[in-house]
Amino acid sequence: MVRPVFGRVSDATRAGSAHADGAARVAHLDRDRALVEAAQLDPLRFDALYRRYLAQVYSYAYYELGDHHEAEDATERTFLAALTNLSRFEERARPADGEGASTFRVWLFQIARNTIANQRRGRRRHPQAPLDAAALVADPLDLEGGAASRDEATAAWTAVGRLPSDRRRALVLRFVEEMSTAEIAGVLGRSEGAVRVLIHRALRTVARDLGDRAGHRGTDARGSREPRR
Amino acid sequence: MIPFDRDASSADTLLTDLYLDAILAGRPFRGDDPAVAKRSRRSSAPASVPEAATGPDAAERLDPAIRAAVDRLRHDLVRVHPSFRFEERLATRLAEAATALRVPTAVGAEGRVVPFRARTATSAGDPSLGDPVDGLLGDAPEALDGDRRDLARPLLIGGALTSAALSLAGAALVAWRRNRPGSPMARAARVVRTSGAAIARPRTLRGPRRGSAGRDPSWPREPSVRGFD
Repeated sequence: MVRPVFGRVSDATRAGSAHADGAARVAHLDRDRALVEAAQLDPLRFDALYRRYLAQVYSYAYYELGDHHEAEDATERTFLAALTNLSRFEERARPADGEGASTFRVWLFQIARNTIANQRRGRRRHPQAPLDAAALVADPLDLEGGAASRDEATAAWTAVGRLPSDRRRALVLRFVEEMSTAEIAGVLGRSEGAVRVLIHRALRTVARDLGDRAGHRGTDARGSREPRR
Repeated sequence: MIPFDRDASSADTLLTDLYLDAILAGRPFRGDDPAVAKRSRRSSAPASVPEAATGPDAAERLDPAIRAAVDRLRHDLVRVHPSFRFEERLATRLAEAATALRVPTAVGAEGRVVPFRARTATSAGDPSLGDPVDGLLGDAPEALDGDRRDLARPLLIGGALTSAALSLAGAALVAWRRNRPGSPMARAARVVRTSGAAIARPRTLRGPRRGSAGRDPSWPREPSVRGFD
């Protein structure tokens, strides 16, 4: 069962009355509140939010779609939709979401998730592990070390790319976007417990995959050394 | 059948989550860390689970394979930044969209209701007549209270009278236009119609006059032309 992550702001809360139940109380924790309010008053001020979250949204789209051009398309649509619908955004954070929780970021990533899903559905394209991004990690001056780290990065990317989409998505949001469990739950529309289980299972699968790969490589290396003996 | 220890599984899941929190925040993981203890207390897991996931030896209880996978993914799953050209192009596009969104607001913001004074029921010496707009303007600002009674009724009555007058004037104009078509073409058509009847009558009525005593019954009956009979 999907549990709503963010409770609605009740009228009583707006009026400032105290709630006996701490979990139902809604606190303003959005670190982007000032920027969001400014952008709601003057849409031209949206630029600050755009600059802050461009790389994150783009990265998420890139990990999901595996192609720079498609990621750019998805990023563009996401920000245009966010700008158009910004007046409808309502801050709904709970203390459980953590001190650095940004509900605007959760809202933005919900838009990104829907945009990417529509784009993928429209083009009938399934994501592949974006292997070429591994080249970004390597140091171009360190050729030997670069090749090794590129190889390792490729293995990690491949392992992540093989995961089921919900586990891969949770893992990317956790590691790349450095979101909390509560934020990921908000983006994916799942409970925090479900997100924890998704990530734990994803890590177990990746660990097994990387372990198998290392085992194969060790066997191959031993096999290639044997004739020399 | 393999028995499934739900508490142990939940403890592993929570332990992994706490480890990720610590690692992604850039601090070493210690089960007795106050932040970890606080975070585990907030968890929705059963009470026995947070206890199993914390403590001084919690880090040792985490699966080494998962720990290795976390370290690997933390290093290899990097955030990807879009090109500078794309960033600026999208910024321009968003600025254009923001400007388009801003225009209706600016036009609406220019409008302001200008009050006008009129005779009121109170000033006319009939305070028993309640103000029919009391309910409508109950939430009006305090500063307007003095002028509210002066403004509300004349505005409504004036609006109704203006509306009725406009309707009557419109109906009269339509009736006048129907009786007296004013365009040059309509006037020309009317003249032709009037004069054409006099010219056409001798040519079309070649036999004896209809209804006359000397009418030949074998004579073909001329077609009836509307407007000429």
